[in-house]
Amino acid sequence: MTERWTVRVDKRLCVRTGLCVASAPADFELDESGQGRARAERTAESDVVLEVAESCPIEAISITDADTGHRVFPPET
Amino acid sequence: MTTADTIHWDPYDPALARDPYPLYARLREEVPLYYNDQHDFYAVSRYEDVQRGLADWHTFSSARGDILEIIQADVQLPPGTLIFEDPPVHDIHRRLLARVFTPRRIATLEPKVRAFCRRALEAVDGAERFDLVQAVGAEMPMRVIGMLLGIPEADQPAIRDRTDETLGTQDGGKIDEGEILSTDAFRDYIEWRKKHPSDDLMTELMTAEFEDENGVTRTLTDEEVLTYCSVVAGAGNETTGRLIGWFGALMARYPEARRELANDPSLVPNAIEEILRFEPTGPFTARYVTRDVEFHGRTVPAGSAILFIQAAANRDPRRVPDPDRFDIHRVTQHLSFGVGAHYCLGAALARLEGRVAAEELLERFPGWEVDWDHAELAQTSTVRGWKTLPLVVTGGRR
Repeated sequence: MTERWTVRVDKRLCVRTGLCVASAPADFELDESGQGRARAERTAESDVVLEVAESCPIEAISITDADTGHRVFPPET
Repeated sequence: MTTADTIHWDPYDPALARDPYPLYARLREEVPLYYNDQHDFYAVSRYEDVQRGLADWHTFSSARGDILEIIQADVQLPPGTLIFEDPPVHDIHRRLLARVFTPRRIATLEPKVRAFCRRALEAVDGAERFDLVQAVGAEMPMRVIGMLLGIPEADQPAIRDRTDETLGTQDGGKIDEGEILSTDAFRDYIEWRKKHPSDDLMTELMTAEFEDENGVTRTLTDEEVLTYCSVVAGAGNETTGRLIGWFGALMARYPEARRELANDPSLVPNAIEEILRFEPTGPFTARYVTRDVEFHGRTVPAGSAILFIQAAANRDPRRVPDPDRFDIHRVTQHLSFGVGAHYCLGAALARLEGRVAAEELLERFPGWEVDWDHAELAQTSTVRGWKTLPLVVTGGRR
């Protein structure tokens, strides 16, 4: 599978729950300040990553299809 | 540290329910690290300190509880009490609930939440005065949580009263650690629910497979499911009810804000955030200190209990300009839902319930005042808010 997803954590929103790292340690890590961030610039489509983004209590995680620019999560309204 | 001796903060003092903010301000400005020898705990109150502490579960553990007297009682807490756990076990347990409490799934509940609110308000239809706490605050969150857990409607009030009583304290009293760990309220339902699965949280918890801390894939035990249900019920009823009460009180105190919201309901979500900042229903959170840690040049020794005063941090002028001014247009981050691993799981639900209650009240009542002489403000060791808030409807009806 090609690595099509760009995953971003909005630093203005992130309240350091650490849930993304706990749920998907292969895809997320904590930065120096304890906020979550994606480990890779691009990642393959993944139900786990999507569930992590959906489960973030403040929806600080967004997923974009890097090829098309289409937003995967939060869904465009 | 001369001022430390002149400031005394007793978190169990019921007289502080009325207006704790001047004392919080003095703690924050004069004794940013406070020690209380009467109850043997430390407290920090600046935004930066509260934020740092609540985010650092390694140093400030929840494993002994998040309420001062529970920590000090040093009791064995059952697994599944996710508010009383640290990562990684906490995260395993929280993830089971997080699927149900995602902001998007909570958003789909709005029609049901609104229907509960309307039904609650129908009971006071035509009344010239009514107690907002009794009519909506004690009613609507109970119905919402009851629906989520799958508790039959007729039984929901009894469950609420039982959980609230467990968490309730009077006149400076402390929570009984035996009571708070009781799961009896839900025991009757679990057997029945096994035979009658539904789309509720209890069914989901009973059937969800997960990998536990020992690497074993399993479902939750009955005891764990019961503990989860008790945590959700305990956390979701009174806190949200108090938020609705604060909306009623602040809109009476600031009628200009109320008029603005009535004219433009799109301002309501931000107003709810400001209410959460200004009058957080949970004013402080306790943690157990696992290793020596420094605040403001002094050491808090391992083994201490510490309180993080979110209600004081929310009004820290270093972070919030003109912090004692209530301003529904303000854009700010508050600490009322916490920070870090224990960030309120039900935050999206509380925001939804607060917004819906606000919208419905503003739609139905053009104005109201509070009969302050008969209003009653209460502070337990976990929650501060109105126990009774008689609203007097003004300006006719829509």
